[in-house]
Amino acid sequence: MEQYDILIIGGGAAGISAAKAAKGAQVLLVDRKNALGGVLLQCTHQGFGKNKSGIEYAADLIKDFPQEVSLTLNTTVLSISKDRTALLSGKEFGLREIRFSQLILATGCREIPMGALPIAGTRPKGVYTAGQMQAMMNLHGHTPEGPVVILGSGDLGLIMAKQLAQAGLAVTLVEKKDHCGGMIKNQRCLKEFPIRLICGDTITEVHGYPQISGCTTAKGITIPCSTLLIAAGLVPERELIFGMEKYDWLHICGNCNTVHPMVEAVINEGKLSGVAACNNLRGSL
Amino acid sequence: MKRFDAVVIGGGILGCFVARNLRRWNISTLLVEKEGDVCTGITRANSAIVYAGYDNKPGSSKAEMTVRGNANMDSLCEELEVPFSRCGSLLVTYDVSSVPKLERKLENGRQNGVAGMRMLTGEEAEAMEPMLKKGIAAAVYAPSTGTVNPWQLGIAAYENAVQNGAQVSLNTSVNGIRREDSGYILLTSGESIACKVVINCAGLYADQLQQLLFPPSTRLKLDGAEYLVLDPLARKPEHIIFHQADSCGKGITAIPCVEGNLLISGVRKDLTVPFATTAEGLEELYADTHRLLPELDTSMVIRSFGAVRPNPYRESGESIPDFCVENPAPGFYSLIGIKTPGLTCSNELGLALGEKAAAFLQAEKNICFNPHRKAIEKKKEDPDYCQILCQCERITKGEIMEAIRRGATTVDGVKRRVGSGMGRCQGSRCTWEIEKLLEENGHGAI
Ligand SMILES: Cc1cc2nc3c(=O)[nH]c(=O)nc-3n(C[C@H](O)[C@H](O)[C@H](O)COP(=O)(O)OP(=O)(O)OC[C@H]3O[C@@H](n4cnc5c(N)ncnc54)[C@H](O)[C@@H]3O)c2cc1C
Ligand SMILES: Cc1cc2nc3c(=O)[nH]c(=O)nc-3n(C[C@H](O)[C@H](O)[C@H](O)COP(=O)(O)OP(=O)(O)OC[C@H]3O[C@@H](n4cnc5c(N)ncnc54)[C@H](O)[C@@H]3O)c2cc1C
Repeated sequence: MEQYDILIIGGGAAGISAAKAAKGAQVLLVDRKNALGGVLLQCTHQGFGKNKSGIEYAADLIKDFPQEVSLTLNTTVLSISKDRTALLSGKEFGLREIRFSQLILATGCREIPMGALPIAGTRPKGVYTAGQMQAMMNLHGHTPEGPVVILGSGDLGLIMAKQLAQAGLAVTLVEKKDHCGGMIKNQRCLKEFPIRLICGDTITEVHGYPQISGCTTAKGITIPCSTLLIAAGLVPERELIFGMEKYDWLHICGNCNTVHPMVEAVINEGKLSGVAACNNLRGSL
Repeated sequence: MKRFDAVVIGGGILGCFVARNLRRWNISTLLVEKEGDVCTGITRANSAIVYAGYDNKPGSSKAEMTVRGNANMDSLCEELEVPFSRCGSLLVTYDVSSVPKLERKLENGRQNGVAGMRMLTGEEAEAMEPMLKKGIAAAVYAPSTGTVNPWQLGIAAYENAVQNGAQVSLNTSVNGIRREDSGYILLTSGESIACKVVINCAGLYADQLQQLLFPPSTRLKLDGAEYLVLDPLARKPEHIIFHQADSCGKGITAIPCVEGNLLISGVRKDLTVPFATTAEGLEELYADTHRLLPELDTSMVIRSFGAVRPNPYRESGESIPDFCVENPAPGFYSLIGIKTPGLTCSNELGLALGEKAAAFLQAEKNICFNPHRKAIEKKKEDPDYCQILCQCERITKGEIMEAIRRGATTVDGVKRRVGSGMGRCQGSRCTWEIEKLLEENGHGAI
């Protein structure tokens, strides 16, 4: 069985940063996508580092990606076991089991889908998560049908509201809290575009079948729409290490640790994990 | 005009099993379905339980078929390569005053020939299912109760029917039926079809379909039910839990499904929009769930959905408690209002209809009939079967391609065949890629 000092799962900002910090060790980084960068690759908006887009920011990050790190893309880690082996699955190498000393989990986060929310009604087409729509627009050139309702006015909801308004679509944001949820810089779009913001309310029902035709809020407002985006929160993607959180060979960084609004914090955590994994390696020698 | 010995109207689980079992005989068979795929109706939204058979009145055909359907489920699922879990069930109550009701069920079960049932004390039940709220008065344990994925079973029967020579006409709705000397003419949204035997398996519309030719003797009144689905990682009961309505709640059911998800179903309610959930219904379901399973982590709910139940009534308004297969004229059979436990009895009903049709047509046995159907497998040597597209459920490109080859034309059709998009992200990360594969294979976005 192949053996590595450090296995890094996830090649987003956190995983890349961890790989750079893990100097001198034998490192394997695995990502299920066909490129390094993670969620950065679907962000065309300026907002990373010094006014870069996510794509540009990722390109900068990858520039000095250490050559000595083994990189396996298009490969999903299926499972981790307590005896420190990992099962990988990808079209190039098939099923592959490897052994590792230290594990850096940098798997990012996923979005809460509509199904997880107590929203009544039919289950029509035209409902997406905000990040899913971001990927569809920015990676695949898709434009949804308007009008669009977005549930949740956090950063992701605002970023999508802005992009859709820029594309000329009518956008309504519905926010449970009594004020807009995202960072101030992301709230600017509310002034720049005719985006309707409904605060202190939430969507309780969707209408239409097979295609969505509208939704109704807790306060009884019915908003016609052809597209509903769910931007109701992100959950760290940690199922791989379910029940293994306490092991000292495990280091968790980036959005799979806690969801970070800023990439700098993610980079920093990745670095700390890379260093900690190396320190553990030395300690165990 | 095409001619068949028998036409099955409706490709739900019942129509699929009827078609499969017609092919045990030399009966040329056509299955007609108005949607673009099979198993999209009631079969898509129900409780997935393989009942033991203690709920039904001794002597009824429901009781007899349920016990038989349950006993035969292992071999049926082996033949069709569908996962089946005989997890057993507990029927619990918190009120001492409800214990006689449980005793009656036990007695029913004894008379119906349900094996292994016994009454448990509250403590015994609590020890078996520590997640249940404490204070159980008594429970009926039925080890033979199980669970199977209803649409997987239905699709397996469909594939097996086709493999044995049944023909299929999808996207075809039957809009009129005429009698002719040698049988019936079906007027459809496509070509007309001639046949000697009609088997009406139109689910929610079975009464209306029969009415196209015969005066109705059974009417369907529809009501609804609501469901929650939990992430497989959530801690859950090991048995199916039926909560007998009592002071602790109206009675929900919790089903640990073969896929590992816990399914929770609520009490019946008036139907609003078909297959839709209601805000009040969901609220009640969450509240009842918290009461019965206080430790269940409902933040791990990944989906909710609504179901529609067809309840059969006589013209007089009296409800019909048993399965009834109507036979208003020679060669015309209607399955009207086959609700719970229709899934448990699906192959039994199919066998029964096959025999009726064979007797009517004086058909011979089909000696070439092959009851075995191969499931979509994970071929580890094939690179496509190592490329994960659905990250949550670990479904590969190879499996998805095979689902498309077997007739899936939509993301939903793929989902029903291989389980992609059923997981905790609910398809938000794989839908695009699956749509692309469908497009590449000639099933463009509509
Ligand atoms: C939509 C969005 C907009 C943002 N906008 C800004 C902004 O404007 N400014 C800013 O500073 N920050 C922003 N952020 C925050 C920050 O940029 C991100 O949080 C950061 O890029 C996340 O990095 P990560 O490495 O933790 O996760 P990700 O980038 O999500 O990387 C995780 C990687 O792990 C891989 N993976 C997961 N599971 C497996 C597995 N089992 N096997 C193999 N590979 C796996 C995934 O394919 C992915 O590539 C934004 C975040 C989001 C989600
Ligand atoms: C809420 C609920 C829970 C249940 N739980 C269980 C359980 O746990 N265990 C159990 O054993 N049973 C259960 N059942 C019963 C079981 O699910 C049903 O008996 C079974 O699924 C019925 O299948 P069907 O083929 O009759 O209906 P359907 O799946 O609805 O199929 C009917 C088909 O006919 C087609 N059709 C209709 N009209 C026409 C037309 N004019 N032309 C062409 N095609 C047409 C429809 O499109 C549809 O595909 C439950 C039922 C319900 C409602």
